[in-house]
Amino acid sequence: MKRLNWLSMTAMVVLMALVVSACGGNGGGNNAGTSNSSDGASTSGEAIKISLLNSKGEIQTQLEEAAKTFQEDNPNITLEIMAAPAGTSPFERASTLYASGNPPTMMMLDTGDVEKFKDRILDLSGEKWNADAVENATKLTTFDGKNYGFPLAIEGYGFIYNKAVLDEAVGGSFDPSTIKTRDDLENLFKQIEATGKKALIISPMDWSLGAHFLPLAYAGQDRDMAEVDKFIDSLKAGTEDLSGNAVLNGLLDTFDMMKNYNIDKKSPLAGVYERGPEVLGKGEVGIWFQGNWAWPQIHDFDTANGEYGFLPVPISNNPDDFGNQEISSAVSKRIILDKEKSTPEQQEAAKKFLNWLVYEEKGQDFLVNQASIIPAFKNITLPAADPLGQSIQYYIAEGKSQESMSTLPADHWAKLGASMQKYLGDAGDRATLIKEIEEYWTSVK
Amino acid sequence: MIKEKEWWPRLKTRLLFTGPTLFAFLTVMIVPFIYGIYLTFTNWDGIATTHTLVGFENYGKVFQDKVFWKSFGLTLKYVLFTVILVNSVAFLLAFGLTRGLKGQNIFRAGFFVPNLVGGIVLGLIWQFIFSNVLVFVGEKTGIPLFSTSWLADPQKAFWALVIVTIWQYAGYMMVIYIAGLMSVPNDVLEAASIDGANGWTKLRTMTLPLMVPSFIVCIFLTLQRGFMVYDVNLSLTKGGPFKSTEMVSMHVYEKAFLSRDYGLGQAEALVLFLLVAVITLLQVYFGKKMEVEA
Repeated sequence: MKRLNWLSMTAMVVLMALVVSACGGNGGGNNAGTSNSSDGASTSGEAIKISLLNSKGEIQTQLEEAAKTFQEDNPNITLEIMAAPAGTSPFERASTLYASGNPPTMMMLDTGDVEKFKDRILDLSGEKWNADAVENATKLTTFDGKNYGFPLAIEGYGFIYNKAVLDEAVGGSFDPSTIKTRDDLENLFKQIEATGKKALIISPMDWSLGAHFLPLAYAGQDRDMAEVDKFIDSLKAGTEDLSGNAVLNGLLDTFDMMKNYNIDKKSPLAGVYERGPEVLGKGEVGIWFQGNWAWPQIHDFDTANGEYGFLPVPISNNPDDFGNQEISSAVSKRIILDKEKSTPEQQEAAKKFLNWLVYEEKGQDFLVNQASIIPAFKNITLPAADPLGQSIQYYIAEGKSQESMSTLPADHWAKLGASMQKYLGDAGDRATLIKEIEEYWTSVK
Repeated sequence: MIKEKEWWPRLKTRLLFTGPTLFAFLTVMIVPFIYGIYLTFTNWDGIATTHTLVGFENYGKVFQDKVFWKSFGLTLKYVLFTVILVNSVAFLLAFGLTRGLKGQNIFRAGFFVPNLVGGIVLGLIWQFIFSNVLVFVGEKTGIPLFSTSWLADPQKAFWALVIVTIWQYAGYMMVIYIAGLMSVPNDVLEAASIDGANGWTKLRTMTLPLMVPSFIVCIFLTLQRGFMVYDVNLSLTKGGPFKSTEMVSMHVYEKAFLSRDYGLGQAEALVLFLLVAVITLLQVYFGKKMEVEA
């Protein structure tokens, strides 16, 4: 008995040691920069392993390619691209990775999320690209004079049109600048329907309605962002009477009109994202409310010879009202660098990757041509590769752009997106919607 | 069966066998649970490096969170229907597949398979069926019930969830019921036959009372799974349309990770835990009282 006892004790200790070391090994992968040297992986220069959490699902393959190219240029750095699951916010993924003590070196977050992480991420103010970033690109990620975020992409949204369908509808070459009011738009819808096609598709996802469509009502309040901020503050304080708000009501009037011409009018909530690019690309509808990130999917169904562009979402019948000729756009995705678990070598490697994106030809080619990103840097002069990016660039160059709301509370899209779905599906009227918007804002901390 | 009389050798032997499991249980269950309870007293947002203690404030908020109680009510409704329907279907399947039917083993395996498919995948498959296949069928055949997606209507989306849950769990519960049916002693049933009892009387007065342990287990499992449903809820309806099918687990998750109110989300999770624990304990307690000996 005694002997057996001793034997099994030993076995147990060995087993425990294995378990413990297996756990340790897990974390070890992350700071491989120092620990890998023992297995003789490289003799010239330390092998450094870094990772990037990608939250732009549509460019996952392109990013993986870019990681390979980057590795060719920097043989001692291995860059792994992790995908954030579709439909979850990158914040969720990043915070769970932090909670497990295993954060990636770089994380791609939405603008509004950066502040939450500021104690755990690296100050990037010293990087050269700060000076080359476009105006206001780093304003929202700068706290106490320190910039924490790398502005990755400018994104914009509005009505995407299929030029082939619209040409047929107007009988000639369609000119987007002719649409300046709600009546112009409705007229266009009627012209499209006259050709036997459907005018538009409204994708009913909560993020599209809650993070993109509804915020047009906030951003459209004033040309001056400071006034918009004041408006949001008064919403939080509950002092704003939304039922009398002209911009919101104007936007909802436009939405009512859109509902009438929706291809899915019969069952407006049944649609899925994938249906949008299909019916638009195939020319079954003329217009889809979405952003330039949808290009890769539209491209797959393209029947218009790549001729697409944006129309603003009009909120009134006065062509001079703010928003009637402007496209909503902003720097949307930010890359942040972890400072807690990453080694200095990994941080340097990650900074190198960011610089590679901005200053190296291959990096720029990846951003603009492979990933169809509109870069937020003045030194990148490559024209946008796709028609939607070009359209956004055109509106920005013309000064016809409206700053998108990128620092809304984290659950805004989900909660008010649901309210918008209710309105879209006629399960709630406008008074209900406005009440829900007001209640939401007064409940925000 | 521990032979050692002294406390130290006794402890050593105990630790030898229960030590590893105890260690794992402590580290992955008890410590996080206690830390979780601690977090309910803070205002942590899930990521910040600092948080402050707020006492019982979060618990107060749980009772003010109307959406939490609304989704709890919805979950109760869902639990009620799934417990009744899953167990009825499972029992009928088990009863039918112990009659000596030809190929009944194939059927048993077939009904069990859905349980092997993970909830997320299963939800996605059924999402496709509800929003594409059935709509297609509805349009071709002109059946109005199927002409629009079930998932776009709050009532139908709820029933879609119930249907998928039955499909997923009925096979699993069936296996337990089959085991229960098989263990009913044949001599008792034969004796009853000799006394002139017909099939229905035998089922009602012999088989069912003897199967009470199976019912306790199955109802416990379906109750607990019904309350904790998340995966199918997420992948089938995402709580939609407009949050009308958001079950309580999903609400708790979103409170913590989407609204970034970790403390409150954790407090709601604890309240949910206590409610479910009370309900299932009561069920098992009263179930045990109904057990009989053959």
